[in-house]
Amino acid sequence: MNHQPPRLARKFFEWVCGPAKVDDLLGDLDEWYSIHAKTKSPFQATLLYWKQIFSLSFSYTVRKRKRDAASGMYSTSNFSMDMLRNYLKVAVRNLYQYKYFSVLNVFGLAIGMSVSLLLIALVAYIKTYDTFHIHQDHIYTIVSDRTEGVEQRQYATAPVVLAEKLQQHPDIEEVVRIQAGFREEIKQDKGTLPIKGYYVEPNFLKVFTYQVTQGDPVSALTKPNTIIITESAAQKIFNTTHVLGNTLEMEQGGLLEIGAVMKDHPINSHLAFEVLVSYATLPPVKTSVADQWMNYGRQYVYVVLKEDRSIDQLNEYLNKIAQDTYASLPIKATFDTQHLHAITMGPDYNQAIGPKWEMSGMVVFSIIAAMILLPACFNYTNISIARALKRAKEIGLRKTMGGVRNQIFIQFITETVVITMISLAGAILIFLLIRSEFQSMMVASSSIDLSLTGQTVFLFFLFALATGLLAGAFPAFYFGGLNPIQALKNKIRGRSSAMRVRKVLTVFQFALSFGFILSLVVFSRQYQYSIGFDFGFTKNNIVNVPLQNVEPRLLQAEFSPLAQVQSIAFSSDVLGLGFSNSWVKNSVNDSLEVAQVFVDRNYLSTFGLTLLAGGNFPEEAGSEGDTYRERFIIVNEEFLKAYKMDQPMDAIGQTFLVDSTELEVIGVVKNFHFAPLRLPISKFFFRMNPQHYAYAHVTVKPEDPFHLFSQLEDRWKKLSERKMEASFFEDDLNEGYSMYQTLLKIVGFLGVLALTISMLGMLGMVVYTSETRSKEVSIRKVLGATVPHLTLLLSSDYLKLMVWAILIAVPVTALFFHWTLPRIQYYSVTLNGWDVLLSTIMLMGIGLATIASQTLKTARANPADTLRAE
Amino acid sequence: MKVYLGEFEELVLLTIATLGNEAYGVSIQQDIEARCHRTISIGALHSTITRLEEKGFLKSWMGGATQERGGRSKRYYEITQAGKRAVTETKSLRDELWDLSKIKLSLK
Repeated sequence: MNHQPPRLARKFFEWVCGPAKVDDLLGDLDEWYSIHAKTKSPFQATLLYWKQIFSLSFSYTVRKRKRDAASGMYSTSNFSMDMLRNYLKVAVRNLYQYKYFSVLNVFGLAIGMSVSLLLIALVAYIKTYDTFHIHQDHIYTIVSDRTEGVEQRQYATAPVVLAEKLQQHPDIEEVVRIQAGFREEIKQDKGTLPIKGYYVEPNFLKVFTYQVTQGDPVSALTKPNTIIITESAAQKIFNTTHVLGNTLEMEQGGLLEIGAVMKDHPINSHLAFEVLVSYATLPPVKTSVADQWMNYGRQYVYVVLKEDRSIDQLNEYLNKIAQDTYASLPIKATFDTQHLHAITMGPDYNQAIGPKWEMSGMVVFSIIAAMILLPACFNYTNISIARALKRAKEIGLRKTMGGVRNQIFIQFITETVVITMISLAGAILIFLLIRSEFQSMMVASSSIDLSLTGQTVFLFFLFALATGLLAGAFPAFYFGGLNPIQALKNKIRGRSSAMRVRKVLTVFQFALSFGFILSLVVFSRQYQYSIGFDFGFTKNNIVNVPLQNVEPRLLQAEFSPLAQVQSIAFSSDVLGLGFSNSWVKNSVNDSLEVAQVFVDRNYLSTFGLTLLAGGNFPEEAGSEGDTYRERFIIVNEEFLKAYKMDQPMDAIGQTFLVDSTELEVIGVVKNFHFAPLRLPISKFFFRMNPQHYAYAHVTVKPEDPFHLFSQLEDRWKKLSERKMEASFFEDDLNEGYSMYQTLLKIVGFLGVLALTISMLGMLGMVVYTSETRSKEVSIRKVLGATVPHLTLLLSSDYLKLMVWAILIAVPVTALFFHWTLPRIQYYSVTLNGWDVLLSTIMLMGIGLATIASQTLKTARANPADTLRAE
Repeated sequence: MKVYLGEFEELVLLTIATLGNEAYGVSIQQDIEARCHRTISIGALHSTITRLEEKGFLKSWMGGATQERGGRSKRYYEITQAGKRAVTETKSLRDELWDLSKIKLSLK
């Protein structure tokens, strides 16, 4: 008889019922319990009690009583507009009364949200990709997972022969093949113009939706050597869009007839092209079927599924094809389907057809955005809680007058949302300021549009609301739970666990800021290091002129008479930036991949390269009629090492099979950095073949560059219609490291944001503690404490936190750099003590200045002013 | 017929009428379980009572707390005029049907 009904069950029931009146039901339950207790074991009685609780919880009775309670006179969960108005009014008054903190909060949150706004705008735009196709929901592309030996790679491409197999599948409406390799130079009156596009099958326009303005698209894609041209490409080549029936003459020979003209495709398309060339234009495939199944070149297969079919069966079918086909082939592969809308922001496949934002990059971006946003939210939470004392009386009074936890919660959430909405305005302002800069840093900047639309503004708004909830939830919860008696008596004590969490978060903020500062220091040193690096060749007073298909001999004839021009050399690549590769074989060894640059006789002297043995290329070596016959190579020291030759002299006269041509070593050149610094020096040789020349290297006298360039420009105009793109070699080289400038800009910007946020947070806390401790300070002062002593007293807590932050951040960043720097660049700097010292001074300097601005004021204050009222 | 009473609804209404002044949650349930030899769930019973109350066949008032109830009051139920009419109508319908079917059913 002494047993009581389970309390937990009753609590649960009360929680379920909320404000509904269920006293009679609980009474009945208790009575049942006592009845059961007489005849059954306590355990059974308890079990029955629980059973009844659940039975009632889901009953119509409880539902109805809850509904009645919600609209009844004395309901407590009633959310009326009057109260909301009151909350808003109080919120605005509070913001106004504590302007200092309001500004700090708004400023901090605005900065914190700005980076996230970029992310949201970017993702929102990417989500609009390919939404203009009529069949968008049913279009899939086939992607492949190819394993050759131990190497496994994912491709966005698929073998073209797969398309033939797919055509028989009953679920498929259309199959279209795209060959993305169309790149030609179109002959103009003077020079040529480049043009890019896809070879597509005739049903391309049935699958994808584009607007054809002139001509017949079906025949244009059916007949060989006909194309559909976009209006902007037509404008570029013909200066008009009325080009139907015109022909394009390609530099390599061959004519293309324009069968139709289409409007430019929208920029939010993962297919990007200037022309569509009929598939029939491609030369017939001559390779064996097995070879075709192993070809994952730039060829893509798209399918349109019939409307009511699911993709699963097609996937199964693809698995079966892969199993059957690759059982007898040396490589293994599996296929999968990828929906049209998953292409643009999807997994990192090789050989993507058009603009693409890799998932991994997006994740990094999201992490960065969160790293900026979360500290800002935390600042708000922190400052709000610390200032609870100021609001305690109000909350106590509200509670005494009948306000319940939920109402206080809603009040503070409202207040936070008001602040975040004001901050959102600021954040959008920052967003507009950094938008174009951000866009210019992106690889595919031309295929993105970050302008404000109704949709993005709506998303921003939702985001701000979520931020408000995130930042305000904890303080609102905390205030809602205040005990009214203690609150009215001003006896609120911060819980020590909350204090510890606050300290940990503050340390994290500082550590983050410190990490950014340190990165800034290290990356700027790395940039300086790369710019000032000794590449082992001359880089001064050389002007690089891309030939853009101009005959080297003609250019030589035009440029060499100029007074400032001393000599001209030709090559295929710009030293220190680019090179190509060839497979090399000699009688003994297996094939080796060797880097190469095609040069002429003047090259070695122009770039001041030192020959260790042998000599330069002989004059006009082996010229036989029109086609040039190569005979010699000049190798570097690494090449000797690879073939185990100790002395440079040993190499002279040896022959190697390069691209199935036998070439003889005529000279050995000292090692130099032919590749960008991110790569180590490897096996390399110079070859001589005028067919590959793409650059002229003009050695000039170091005077009046402006005059020189205008002279070159004049001469250039006689050679080509295109714009001359000449530039100083040194600038080109430095340009190759401009990625560091971008990196520095990003890291610097993020660093400024992180630092500002953490300093704002600290400022808020310092202001607050200085205010609350002003009495203590005054008494200490009266008793003889000095200003420096008091300043130190007020600042020491924060200084400790900063030291902790640095102690944590240094090993973490050191590890980070240890891992990343050599991966970014083979020849790189390492993190050293000076970097750490410099960063520490910067962080401490800014931090001290922030703290001192407040603590000094408090320490200097006249104690009489503070203590007079006591 | 204007009203429709389910079998269980009818049972609950009649039980409440039988119990007179002592009709509250526990007693109703005990009475039905004892009389019909069947266990009914508390949730189903109260849902039915609430629906009958909504239809105006029942009214209730609070009163009488005991110690076993943890000092909580009982909610007593009473059948209203409309309730009486509803059970009567149901009964007369059944009677009519019984009369008509007596010959065919002819229990032996």
